[in-house]
Amino acid sequence: MKILVINAGSSSLKYQLYNMENESVLAKGRVERIGFESSILAHEPEGKEEVTEVSEILDHTTAIKKVVQMLIHKEHGILSSIDEIEAVGHRVVHGGESFSNSVIVTEEVKQEIKKLFDLAPLHNPAHIMGIQAVESTMPDVPQAVVFDTAFHQTMPASSYLYAIPKALYNKYKIRRYGFHGTSHDYVSDRAAAFLDKKPEDLKIVTCHIGNGVSCTAVKHGESFDTSMGMTPLEGLMMGTRSGDLDPAVVPYIMGKVDLRISEVNSMLNKHSGLMAISGDSSDMREIEEGMDAGDTNAKLAFDMYEYRLRKYIGSYAAAMDGMDVLVFTAGVGENSSTLRKRICDQLTFFGIELDDKINETRSKNERRISSSNSKVEVLVIPTNEELVIARDTYKLINN
Amino acid sequence: MFKKVGVIGAGTMGQGIAEMLSKKGLEVYLVEKTEEKLEQSWNSIEISLDKQLEKWAITEAEKKLTLSKIEKITNVHKLSECEMIIETITEDLDEKKEVFEMLDEICSPDVILASNTSTLSLTELASKTKHPQRVIGLHFLHPVAEIDLVEIIRGLRTSEETFLKTLNFVQETIQKKGIMVYESPGFVTSRLICLLINEALHTLEEGVASAEDIDTAMRLGYDFRYGPLEMCDRFGLDAVLAALERLFREFGDLKYRPSYLLKKMVRAGNLGVKTGEGFFRYDVDGDRI
Repeated sequence: MKILVINAGSSSLKYQLYNMENESVLAKGRVERIGFESSILAHEPEGKEEVTEVSEILDHTTAIKKVVQMLIHKEHGILSSIDEIEAVGHRVVHGGESFSNSVIVTEEVKQEIKKLFDLAPLHNPAHIMGIQAVESTMPDVPQAVVFDTAFHQTMPASSYLYAIPKALYNKYKIRRYGFHGTSHDYVSDRAAAFLDKKPEDLKIVTCHIGNGVSCTAVKHGESFDTSMGMTPLEGLMMGTRSGDLDPAVVPYIMGKVDLRISEVNSMLNKHSGLMAISGDSSDMREIEEGMDAGDTNAKLAFDMYEYRLRKYIGSYAAAMDGMDVLVFTAGVGENSSTLRKRICDQLTFFGIELDDKINETRSKNERRISSSNSKVEVLVIPTNEELVIARDTYKLINN
Repeated sequence: MFKKVGVIGAGTMGQGIAEMLSKKGLEVYLVEKTEEKLEQSWNSIEISLDKQLEKWAITEAEKKLTLSKIEKITNVHKLSECEMIIETITEDLDEKKEVFEMLDEICSPDVILASNTSTLSLTELASKTKHPQRVIGLHFLHPVAEIDLVEIIRGLRTSEETFLKTLNFVQETIQKKGIMVYESPGFVTSRLICLLINEALHTLEEGVASAEDIDTAMRLGYDFRYGPLEMCDRFGLDAVLAALERLFREFGDLKYRPSYLLKKMVRAGNLGVKTGEGFFRYDVDGDRI
């Protein structure tokens, strides 16, 4: 059975085609910079040469159509016909309290995802566009959705409630949901396996650092607390998102600058974070380059980003009364040795000690970057949300 | 669900409607008589998007995406590809009749022909077409992006199907609130607001209170965003005068007779925000000085 996994982010779209008989990846790729003139489609078919195509891809619908064309392409394709794809699995950011597990896509499920647009304005609309584009290109193929929020459904009320009138939770389900659940679930599981231990015996802090950033306290294999809240805006500083701020700032600026709700949402989600502080980039690679070149704004952006991460790691160690393992994952977490070093060098209080040489060695493998003296195991575990989505889709389709 | 919508007339309303439709994911054909006029309105749309960018309301990519979905055309025959056409040319009955006659020829009978008129008779416009059942009114308010209300006007021969498709378009596709209005001069919005403005003018003329105080009374007292005199400045004094004159003519009721002060100010060329001066003074961005 061949399953196509689609992970539509705010400005990127990742895909992987799985052969579920042996869980092998037949092709994978990503479309980056959606919405820009020079969008990049990088396609990696198994056993064939990688292709990169630069063209203008302004929305997710066009992006998915391009991916499908590539999969059945005479030269670079891996399928003879689109009919070989038997199911499609999508990553969906927000499942609210409606979904604590993955489900098959139906009209009701789509309606429910749409109802959650307000809560995930950058993501859920992109997912729906992805689902609709698949419906129009492969109308008979069943689709499943896997939610970022599902893993965090184990959080206790003391973690997920906000200290605001309870009626708001009862009536509107205003609470913390957490995101990147598929990733935190996968990497904490892999971390235990890597250390040859049971998840139940460990207290793990997982840091998913990509364009979106979140930390999770994984206590005995379950999410105990996580940094993102009702929406993916809470918590850490991100590429274009503000992360934590005093909620009183919002009504204050709305009055001062005469901003409407949609404008203030856009400001906090798309014009803040690294972008706002550095003044010109939301990309950590460019921030680090700027910092090396002596750009003081880039340095400040990096400092704030790192400091906030370190605070969350510390608070989760306190939340679990201990930390056995610290995991870095996702684009920045897996690749920025500078960021990992800056964080770990200032967590010596916990007995963390980094092996600088291993930390600086680039690799795509799961690896330990702490020294043998370190009291906390520090690992880099490349995330694989796609595999989790493929497995869930496979299970659902075969039931 | 509509995918392609035509907008005829790229004045203030046409620009706002085209921009809003594109933001809602529709492809838009924006029609003007000449290339020059199209270029002018294109610049205005860009300026409007730049202002939103400055206020963090959109990103560069969203600006580009919005512009990319609007195609400027002078060849009306391309409109045959659209599922709905919205006419927004100047409020002149004869010119509008011509446009509807032409659209009726170009578009297949299932295409909805809507007019953004605020005062003219839909039934009269529809009478110029062979398929009056597909003619409907779609009255947007300025600024289109910010106001979530659309008056959907049924002419005498507008079909139920046309109305329901239009209502669905308004509420689902562009996500605004649609109210159903039967054809009558000024519908609901223009009729009520013109009367309020006219009464504010009488109040000013009679020396009951200053312009500033009249507006303050309504802003603070009744939670209006703008007072009636500033509203008049923002609509354009000439436009308010024309609307009142039409209401007066159509209903024949003295309560719609325009205030003499309004006539005098229009004659003096103090037309409000667009000339920088009306009852109050404004800078180039339309902010009160």
